[in-house]
Amino acid sequence: MLKKRKLNIIGTPVPKHDGKIRVSGQAVYGHDINLTGMLYGAILRTEHPSAIIEKIDISEALKLEGVECIITADDIDVNNISYKRDHPILKKGEVNCIRDEIAAVAATSKEVAQNAIKLIRVEYKIRKGIYDPIEALEESSPQINKFISGKYKNKNTAEVFKYSHGNIEEEKKKSIVNVSRRFTLPRVTHACMGTSNITAHFDKLSGKLVLYSSTQVPFLYQRDMAHALKMNPSDIRIIQPVIGGGFGSKLDMYPFEPICALLSIKTGKPVQIIYSRQEEFIASPTRQPMIIDIACGADKDGNFTYRDIKIIKDNGAYTSWGATTPFVIMQAFSSLYQVKACKFEATAVYTNNVFAGSFRGYGNPQATFALERIIDLLADKLKISKAEIRLKNANYKNEITGQGLHYETCGHIECLEKVISESNFYNKKNTENGRFRKGIGLASMLHVGGGAKIYRSDGCGTTLKIDPYGYCTIITGSNEIGQGSETVLAMIASEELGIELSKIKVINTDTDIKPWDVGVHASRTSFVAGNSLLGAINILKDKLNNKAKQLLNTENSDFIYQNGMIAIENANEALALDKVVREMHFSEPSELAIASYFYEPLSQFQNKEFKGNVSGTYAFASQAIEVKVDTYTGNIEITNVHTAQDVGKVLNPLLLDGQIHGGILQGIGYAISEEMIYEEGKLLNPNFHNYKLLTASDVPNIHFYPIETNDKQGPYGAKGVGEAPLIPTAAAIANAVCDALDIEVLELPLTPERVLKAINFKK
Amino acid sequence: MNFNIEIPASKNELIELLSEYKNKKYRIGAGCTDLIMELRKKPEDDLTVINISQINDEDFNNIKLSNNKIVIGANTNVVKICTNNEVVTNFPTLKEAAQNLASNQIRQVATIGGNICTASPSGDLICALMALKANLEIIDFAGNKRSVSILEFYKGVRITDLKKSEFLSSIEIDLNKVNPKNMYSGFIKIGTRKSMECSVVSLAYHIQLNENYKVISAGLAFGASAPTVIFAYDACDFLINKNITELKNNEIDEFANHILKYASPIDDLRATAWYRKQVLFNISKSILEEFSKTN
Repeated sequence: MLKKRKLNIIGTPVPKHDGKIRVSGQAVYGHDINLTGMLYGAILRTEHPSAIIEKIDISEALKLEGVECIITADDIDVNNISYKRDHPILKKGEVNCIRDEIAAVAATSKEVAQNAIKLIRVEYKIRKGIYDPIEALEESSPQINKFISGKYKNKNTAEVFKYSHGNIEEEKKKSIVNVSRRFTLPRVTHACMGTSNITAHFDKLSGKLVLYSSTQVPFLYQRDMAHALKMNPSDIRIIQPVIGGGFGSKLDMYPFEPICALLSIKTGKPVQIIYSRQEEFIASPTRQPMIIDIACGADKDGNFTYRDIKIIKDNGAYTSWGATTPFVIMQAFSSLYQVKACKFEATAVYTNNVFAGSFRGYGNPQATFALERIIDLLADKLKISKAEIRLKNANYKNEITGQGLHYETCGHIECLEKVISESNFYNKKNTENGRFRKGIGLASMLHVGGGAKIYRSDGCGTTLKIDPYGYCTIITGSNEIGQGSETVLAMIASEELGIELSKIKVINTDTDIKPWDVGVHASRTSFVAGNSLLGAINILKDKLNNKAKQLLNTENSDFIYQNGMIAIENANEALALDKVVREMHFSEPSELAIASYFYEPLSQFQNKEFKGNVSGTYAFASQAIEVKVDTYTGNIEITNVHTAQDVGKVLNPLLLDGQIHGGILQGIGYAISEEMIYEEGKLLNPNFHNYKLLTASDVPNIHFYPIETNDKQGPYGAKGVGEAPLIPTAAAIANAVCDALDIEVLELPLTPERVLKAINFKK
Repeated sequence: MNFNIEIPASKNELIELLSEYKNKKYRIGAGCTDLIMELRKKPEDDLTVINISQINDEDFNNIKLSNNKIVIGANTNVVKICTNNEVVTNFPTLKEAAQNLASNQIRQVATIGGNICTASPSGDLICALMALKANLEIIDFAGNKRSVSILEFYKGVRITDLKKSEFLSSIEIDLNKVNPKNMYSGFIKIGTRKSMECSVVSLAYHIQLNENYKVISAGLAFGASAPTVIFAYDACDFLINKNITELKNNEIDEFANHILKYASPIDDLRATAWYRKQVLFNISKSILEEFSKTN
């Protein structure tokens, strides 16, 4: 007899579906692909960040045995890439940043390809580059990117975002305290453990191209690749091998990918390009560096009155998604905590630096850092507690913000209260005067939690089938990039259909098979793909229920699915699920146990003023971070991280913990150690020796408190969780360090040397 | 990065190989954790790597106690050093330096001989061994042995006293004159990360006291702030016969200055010279301050 239970699988710590193959080394990453007759590609990049290319001589390289093909800009008929179409795949006539691709080789071995690259002679006329975006905005500066239309007055302006709500002048009058600061945020990189890779296989007979690619957005990628190569998108098939880390770095298509396709098209053979670690540092996208000018005020009761923000973003020489981060940044400024008026302007400026792509948080860590630092300064001026000022202004359930974000559920206040009490915030006053100083800092964050409607569709398709043996296959448009989406989808199917996890397969790697999805970004996969799967399950269950009704000769269709059986609650008779499926297939009228569903979130497009309810739901988090600073060395020890996050509903506590730990460590790296150091446009630390990515031994005590607000839009009430953990971390650490040392922090990272300088400056 | 490999199975085979390669280009590698990085950066033509990691020799690969000395075979890996009882009890400075070297994975293969012969100005084991005034036993291609103090071993940036066709065979450290409870010994490593870190500044100290806290022997060395790891002679002399619990603030500053005066750091990506000097001074002070606090 089956009895209804609330939830069997959802909320339990199911290990990752792909965990075993990953830890046992059996996972096939892009680096492991080896096709018959495959050639190896390599790319020649510029030696100078800004130069005229006077001559390219490939003759010596062509003579090398094993070299099958060399291409330069003159050999290809392609379109520019990037959403602004301002990025040539191979550069002709000039180079504008240190990662610029000049030529590419396909050869029979990696060594030959590398040696051929060294034999290509390029004559440059070196120009003075522009590496400071403020300098790039000066009238006298030359135009850096020649492919943009004259949309903006300034020739080096790539993109401008303007937003406002409320009456800022009125609010300024009501303010009794005002604070303004300039914050500078560094360039950091994703540092995926799997370096960038692609294998392209063009079949001359059919004219079709297969790409084994680590992209996070296969369907957009298919479209972008087709545009670049002047092909039909449907002639391009994208297959995703196991991906060794995404974090946003694979949200755009970059030149090495069409280059690899072109080498395959030219040679008619499969070609593979794999970045070395050094190449990964030099030529993969970065987080967007920014200069943020912010002015804020509060009234006599501590209510936030206005925020006035101007941001200059170093866009680098070409445009990638980094330029569009203001979509997210302006949300933090307009809608994190209540604020009556907000004026925002962000300008992306071309320089001769490398360009920025998207990176977990999408501008939000930068924005949150500036905002949460200034909230501490406002509290200091008002002489009220840093906890009180936040609680007073926190977001609340059913709030509709100035930008039009509608918080149907909102755990902001609960998150704040939780970390304030768990960290014993009010009693952690810094009274020590010795070598080591302790401090505590608070910060919150707001992020989309139910996708983000920026493309024409923010949806996801699912096809679901159950075979005659009771096994279930989920064909989902969404992708697995290590975040655990396969596992969560399998759990949902198991929960709803009563099929054990080992009998559920997830197919998600092939654009020729799977239905459309916009891709992995905006913390959207569990929410969007989960809802899509639930939609397909409902359709399939209707079919199964009908057959079960017929077989059991009942009118009742309130079936329970458990342990591979279907039954009416408390009834004596139960049917095996596989038997029901067989009856569907093999008895008249024959029907497959298959269903398809497309889920489109209820979110809206924003209007031209960037107003509108852009996400299905919103996630909130607060962190209270304790630090101990060594005034002898400037080292910051993170002693405790208290983090509370409105996750809607915990779907899998194990995977959630993984996201929290990984995110927080990435946030700590952003706060205290990671920085790409450039000199005249050249990267000086393209290695882990000098790029201080933190390691497992740097993980502090992390105390995680999930807050469940059960959003009715989400699957089982869940919200997106992936990006949130790192967003407030740098802000909370900076606030804690300021609390410990009574210093100003205006830039990141807080390296030991920066901290020691600040201590000495204070003396 | 292409090279030939020779894999001797015994010390004698190594000696034979050194004789054979007298006039050829070779490098000796054990764990190769530094060597491979170096060759990747700067490949050399016609190079042979003599991989000594397979040498099966009890003395060469282990730590032994003999005649009031601890003898560490040059091929001993770093894990053995930080877990060996004699080292842990007698030479905390060496244990702490070993324990914080690179990462657990690297410590499994990296060897003490490799750390010494790579001669990095920031070599952590070098720094601790200097504070311990260790002696190095060196063998040449003919099997002749010689001994040199580690304090005399370094001649410049990554230049050692080791001649072509010689190899480092073992490291000897005299046992302490006092019992371990009268010893004040440790290693301070400054960097950003807790592992996989190359010292930005390091300081090793090994101080022996009598029953009344009077210093009877001192070894102090620092790393990453000069072309080589440096032994701070004057700072050691300064401490001798002083009661370590009765030092005044100005004496502690004077002590730190006796260390700092040997520093000639450079600006590099990891830190500026300014930072290195500040920190070296501060952590030098901290040794004596911490002692007063804890005793």
